[in-house]
Amino acid sequence: MKKPIHIYGLSTCPWCRKTKALFTKSGAPFDYVDYDLADEPTQAKIMAELDAAGANGFPFVKVGADIVIGYQPERFAQLLA
Amino acid sequence: MTWTDVLDEKALAEGMLQVVYPLGVNVVLARVDGAVHAVAGACVHLGCPLFNGTLVGHTLTCPCHDWRFDLRTGRFLDAPELGLQVYGTRAEQGRLFVSLDSTGGTP
Amino acid sequence: MSAPPASSRKEVLRAFYAKVVEPLGFTFTPDTELVEFLLEQEVVLEGKHGVPFCPCQPLRGDREKDMKIVCPCIPFHRAHFDEMKRCWCGLFVHPGVTDPDSLPQLPPPVTTP
Ligand code: SF4
Ligand code: FES
Repeated sequence: MKKPIHIYGLSTCPWCRKTKALFTKSGAPFDYVDYDLADEPTQAKIMAELDAAGANGFPFVKVGADIVIGYQPERFAQLLA
Repeated sequence: MTWTDVLDEKALAEGMLQVVYPLGVNVVLARVDGAVHAVAGACVHLGCPLFNGTLVGHTLTCPCHDWRFDLRTGRFLDAPELGLQVYGTRAEQGRLFVSLDSTGGTP
Repeated sequence: MSAPPASSRKEVLRAFYAKVVEPLGFTFTPDTELVEFLLEQEVVLEGKHGVPFCPCQPLRGDREKDMKIVCPCIPFHRAHFDEMKRCWCGLFVHPGVTDPDSLPQLPPPVTTP
């Protein structure tokens, strides 16, 4: 069974765009939210997840239970395999 | 040292900031515990006018993005490599004078 | 003649940043496309918020925290950025870095709030 993939980013962040492009290319289904364009409750939820993971930057990628902070193409490839 | 007359001494009250322009240079004056300090008036971050900042003790906080400087040394408190030029000051016959010659403050 | 306002602001940011980051042991990344993109995003952010915030870190609506992600935010994240040899966005790198793509974006050390 495929693990759900969630990606959080910022509309201004080049590494978030690259992350999105990489996952798009992989063909795996995922959902993507830009924190800066999201409504307040969504922002609060995203912020809580970042804080819980000790992150203060984007992109923030969740593949099932795994979390990757930052654009890390090798980690993404491992998780997509 | 060349001294430039900049201000009436009484115009600089304790805990106050004043902008002066000796020879056209933007300089901020402050008086803390009676002593007069002079530092460059434009923030090293993005050039905001520091005379609009806030002064608590010897710490001058830029109004724009809150970078904090020690008035005595000019040092940026979060990275000692950065700072404001510090200038010499002198009081004489009720007037304040600033010297633009370097006093060895940062940078 | 004078440049359009947005692009002249970009040049002002570029000039201030160069003077700020050099004493901190950083320089603009050799990836010039990335430099232009990020500076343009910062001009957009400054237009929106009045402050050139980081294009890659979240605003929290808390002034004390948000002022620590105004570019260049290196003074407030120094250990982390020195470890990566780049800032989070990759706008700045340690001098001598010729292949910035080889520098991974590492998560912050657990001590960073
Ligand atoms: S991470 Fe880099 S680009 Fe982003 S604010 Fe900090 S110094 Fe600027
Ligand atoms: S201009 Fe002073 S803190 Fe940014």
